[in-house]
Formats: sequence, structure tokens, C-alpha cells
Amino acid sequence: MMVLGLGLVLFGHYSVAGTPVIEIEIKDHLFFPATIEIPANTKVKLLVINRDLTAEEFESYELNREKVISGNRKAVIFIGPLPPGEYPFFGEFYPKTAQGKVVVIDQ
Amino acid sequence: MFLNSVVLILQETLEAALLISVLLVFMRLRCIRPFWIISAIAAGSAGAYFFALQMASISEWFDYMGQEVVNASIQLTVLLILAIFVAQNPGATHSTSKPQKDLGVIICTLLLVALSLTREGSEVFIYISGVIGHPSHAQPTLTGSGIGAGIGISAGVLIYYGLLGLPTKWIALSGLLLLSLVGGNMASQATQLLTQADWLPYSKILWDSSDGLPENSILGHLLYALFGYEATPSLLQVFSYIAGMLLISLCAHLGSRKISFSTDQKTTDHNASVNR
Repeated sequence: MMVLGLGLVLFGHYSVAGTPVIEIEIKDHLFFPATIEIPANTKVKLLVINRDLTAEEFESYELNREKVISGNRKAVIFIGPLPPGEYPFFGEFYPKTAQGKVVVIDQ
Repeated sequence: MFLNSVVLILQETLEAALLISVLLVFMRLRCIRPFWIISAIAAGSAGAYFFALQMASISEWFDYMGQEVVNASIQLTVLLILAIFVAQNPGATHSTSKPQKDLGVIICTLLLVALSLTREGSEVFIYISGVIGHPSHAQPTLTGSGIGAGIGISAGVLIYYGLLGLPTKWIALSGLLLLSLVGGNMASQATQLLTQADWLPYSKILWDSSDGLPENSILGHLLYALFGYEATPSLLQVFSYIAGMLLISLCAHLGSRKISFSTDQKTTDHNASVNR
């Protein structure tokens, strides 16, 4: 369901430069959606909105990404172009609950 | 919460502890009082607090790329100051170096410590101030953070005495090698941040060592904190790492040659005047 929802977001939402934009929310130290799907070999702009009052750090070893997102603020993180596969990410401040993954699909 | 705090704070402390302990070794070689480093630590802590307070606004600069751009700028400034620091031949013992050279070494040391702590420390402030907002998290977070910082500082003390325990001729050389790794790490991290911000182009992943040495293993965390280990580095990151290391090594080499040249020159002049 989440993947399907994200697919709609992905293909319905493009930035001015033509880079697909995907929104992820952080609420109660969880990522919504927790799984996002993006096309292979495409640069994507992640718009991460932190609905919690406390800061979180978006981190992924596989994506080589690390960024602090202050409470009640949003952040932009560019990822890709990536080969097909699964790329987990997590919230470094609340790693027990804040877990997610980017699934890169070959189209 | 407890274990996470230990790991997170340890990681932030280790990078600064490595740099500070190596700089302290060079100050010891130059017989410069460590008071300077203590004042730089105080300045860096104040800088970290201010940076953490302003992080939300800074992050929105440059079309939401402020955090990456400011952090990368600090890292590149650290790399530049490191190059100036080693070019002054900081390993020369006090008897052979000119007194005014000490001022340059002290200024570089102050800036290096203050800038590194500002960057590393800000995340610690952001983490602790957020997490202790939950009453049940406060105690494990503070205990874990204290232990993480304690292990990090102990590692710094070990590096300091480990270097000073080496045969005299190897102390400065080993210190310079560690500084060149710090320089490479700074360049590589700055490149990664600017790629994340889309200010630098994407470059392909050069290798994947996540099976043999994953970044989330204890050794992976340790090597990441100390030397910027990445299991899947990009071509641009590896190139920057090597360039950063080469820059520090080259400046250190030129610095030591300049000193030995001026010493040789003085000896030649002295011999010439004696012969006359």
C-alpha cells in the first residue's frame, strides 16, 4: 500500500528542474511512508518533513547520506542516480523506531 | 537509548579527540603551553552551542542546502588551516624554530580545535537537547553520552601518549601521517556533503566493502569516526581523500625543506664568515 501510494506521489510530483520529488514525514519517530520506490538511474529529491518537536538525523550507510532535520522543519536530500536494489535508511537519534528503505526498481 | 547515546557521542568525540591529541603532541614538541588548547576547546564548545541553536535556520539557507554548504565550508577551512599548520614544520623542536613561528602554530591550533569542535559538538547539543525532552529518556541518554564522551576522550589520551612513547624521530612523522589522514577525511566528507546538496555531480561508487567491513559494525564506526571510512565511497570522494592527504603531505614536506634550507644557509654563511 505504502509503495503504491508513493508511486503515485513520485509520478505526480516533479520539481521545476524535472527531478522527481518524494515526500517523507517523520511523526512519533517513525518514517511515513517507511518504504519508498524510485526508478533506477534517476536522481531524486527527498523532501523530509519532521512533524515531531525534536530533531532527527536522516542517515543511510548505503545511500551515503546524513542530515539533521530540526523539529517541525523540513529538509531536502538528493539521492541517486542509483542501480536497482534496496537502500535502508534510519533516524540516527531514534534508530529503534525510525527505520525505512528506498527500493530502486528497474523500469 | 543508552547504547545509541554511547555510539553517537563516541563517534562525534573520536574525530575531535584524534585531532586535538595530535595537535597537543606538536605543542609538546614545541614546548608551547597547553593552555591555548583549553581556551580553544572552550571557544569551540561555545561555537557548537551557537551553531546548534541556529541549525534550523542555517539548514534553510541556499534552498535548504545550508547545512551541507556550511559544514563542507568548515571542513574545507579545516583542511586549509591544516595545510598551513604543517607547512610551518610544527614538529621542529623549540631550539631550531624561530619564536615568531610559534605564533603561527598557536593560531592554527586554536582555529583547528575551535572549528572542529563547533561542527562535531553542534550535533551533540542537538541530539541531547531533543532526546532529554522525554522524561524517560533523560537518564539513559545522559549516562550513555557521558560514557561515549569518556571513551572518546580516553582514546584521545591513548593516542597522545602512544605518539609520545614512540622513538623521538618517529613522533612528528607519525603525527603528520595522522594529520594527512584527517585532511583526507575532511576533503572526502566535504565532497560527500556537496554531492548530497547537488552542488557536485554524482559519481559512481568505486567499491563495496560492506560485506567484509560494514559501516555499522564496531570497527566500521571506529574507522569512520577516526579516518572517514566508507564502505561504498564514490569516485569523487576517493579522489578528494587522496588529494587532501597529498596536500597535507606536500605542505609538510615543503615546510621541513624550508626549515632545513634556512638552517643550511645559516651554517654556510656562518662557515664563510669564520673562514674570512
